[in-house]
Amino acid sequence: MSVGVLGQAGQLLFEVLESPARAAPWPDSRWDRAIRYARSSRLLGSLAERFHGDPAWDVLPPRVRALLQGEVYRNAFFERAARHEIACVARALTGIEVPVVLLKGAAYLLQGLPHARGRQIGDVDLMVPRDRLDEVESALLRSGWQFAKTSAYDQHYYRAWSHELPSMRVPGHALELDVHHTILPIKGRLRPDAAQLLAAARPLGAGPWRCLAPADQILHAAAHLFQDSDGWNKLRDLIDLDRLIRHHAASEADLAMRLVERSKLHELVRPLWYATQFLWSWFKTPYTKELSRLLRPGFSARPATALGCRLFTLTLPPPDLDGVTTIRQRMARKSMELRAVWLRMPPWLLSYHAAHKAWRHFVPAVAPMQ
Amino acid sequence: MTAWGAGQHLDRGVVLDFGTARARVSSLGIASFGSALARVYGEFEPIDDDGICEVSVLLRPVTGNWLKKPEIELVSDGARLFDAFAPRLHLPLFEWGVNFLLAQRLLHLLLLHAGSVALDDRAIVMPALPGSGKSTLTAALACRGFRLLSDEFGLVNLNSGMLHPLVRPICLKNESIDVIRRLWPSAVLGPEFAGTRKGTVAHVAPNAQSVSCRYRPAKPVAIVFPRYRRGASLVVERVTRASAFNSLAVNSFNYTFLGPLGFRCVARLVEQCPVYRLSYDRLDEAVACLQEIVADRRPSGLLESPVELLHNA
Repeated sequence: MSVGVLGQAGQLLFEVLESPARAAPWPDSRWDRAIRYARSSRLLGSLAERFHGDPAWDVLPPRVRALLQGEVYRNAFFERAARHEIACVARALTGIEVPVVLLKGAAYLLQGLPHARGRQIGDVDLMVPRDRLDEVESALLRSGWQFAKTSAYDQHYYRAWSHELPSMRVPGHALELDVHHTILPIKGRLRPDAAQLLAAARPLGAGPWRCLAPADQILHAAAHLFQDSDGWNKLRDLIDLDRLIRHHAASEADLAMRLVERSKLHELVRPLWYATQFLWSWFKTPYTKELSRLLRPGFSARPATALGCRLFTLTLPPPDLDGVTTIRQRMARKSMELRAVWLRMPPWLLSYHAAHKAWRHFVPAVAPMQ
Repeated sequence: MTAWGAGQHLDRGVVLDFGTARARVSSLGIASFGSALARVYGEFEPIDDDGICEVSVLLRPVTGNWLKKPEIELVSDGARLFDAFAPRLHLPLFEWGVNFLLAQRLLHLLLLHAGSVALDDRAIVMPALPGSGKSTLTAALACRGFRLLSDEFGLVNLNSGMLHPLVRPICLKNESIDVIRRLWPSAVLGPEFAGTRKGTVAHVAPNAQSVSCRYRPAKPVAIVFPRYRRGASLVVERVTRASAFNSLAVNSFNYTFLGPLGFRCVARLVEQCPVYRLSYDRLDEAVACLQEIVADRRPSGLLESPVELLHNA
């Protein structure tokens, strides 16, 4: 196993989320660090929800309870905003018969997954078939959504080389809308099968809404963290994976077999493998030990994945609260940023995009605004 | 006077207790920051513990900047806030940074953008519309026997409707610095900092009375929208409740987040408190008027027909 130890910060977060009853009587010094690490990892909302319904709420130090009460109010705000955004999109798309798959936090919310509240999502992610993208975009623009990035280059970049439209927002709305046609960048190294994702999607309440099938949802979360991000301070995404697996394993027969099958279909075996390594090593998530054995057994021998495990170990947990980083952490972070870019697009496209960005940085007035 | 010794080790960090919130501050190698803090927080006992702080900040020189002039930055929980400042502007950076963070984090109370002061436990809320001169007015009231609750925030308890103190130095700008110095010779002012985004600023240290009462909430008895008008004589008018509600809600840091709770809280405030607009030039006249208002007396020269506050008024 080349996954290193979780480290103090991560361990503190794991413990405070794991057992409110044990954490509530902690000394103030421990609580102060727990809150600051939670805030840094965007887990403060989840922490508040964890304690709010629990008897341990009354045992909390008063300052902690006040802070968490504030987060409970903020969670409620973000949930209202998300439901409002989703309802507005449904209205905008009436008359267009198109299946719309909700992704990530928005899906967790409508599915009623226990870990949904407290995530304080900043945007609603959807996926539609690629051939319906223009229709959906027009309907949204007619109903008041506007693009955030408007330069001609950005629009072209997103449409030609990315898996999503530029972010859209109705002025005055709290949340942005990200419309995807697949779950990973289209020029990236791994190409999940969007048609299969859409075909297997399950209906979600009334209206056009669908959510990914359980195995696909887990794979998306794994891809989002281990393939399409720089892994920096992303313990929250790993915890999402833990919660997803626990929830779906309880209601889906043969989840492990489905995951193995679907991961091969979507070329997402490696991200899933990384997920199983970290989930078992750090959180002892059920099924992950068996799952990692079912995935290619020779995996752990490869130097690339061993390095990957070491890099993620260094970058996933929250960084030092005073911003003091070791050279290893800084190098790990730099490597992971390069890796993320490398995985997103082939070298020729990378050079073109980097050159264009450099050009715009030094000559900002040149790029015309639409 | 409490013990800010010469040996105050800011590299280890010191905790300041404002009442409703505590802030931990540490700094690395920033000349004269420690003495500036000791001056404007002179009545606060510097606390050395690892307890819960709503805000923890570190001020330090920016590294890796060989080609540029030296600069300092404010870091909180691993993330840098704001652009870098010149090293001599340490205290303004600290004060603005802490205000910014407090505004984001104190969500269990309604946070109005207002100055608030109290005589005993009767409080006046002065919303901070542009051109109000609320900081200068807050400082003037503080030297006429009112205790400072906050010059930046009106913290309203959502259940009780009481105002909670968040005692911090009052930030004065440009001409106000001399005005207050003349009006209140015994006030302790921190160093003057020229060349900030707001011009020259200086901070008034909260006095012993305000600091010792930082845990005592106060009941809001009036809302007064101050409006500084150079050369004008004093005019005090009633304000319609609806436009007062609107101005208060718009001038709150977290009204939107609180949803229905925020609505009910502001509604209760405007229903239970008389709301005035006070146009003034001379501080002593304004203070006298507010002294009448806080004592529940009808202010002299009150114009009866209520005025609508426009959004930019």
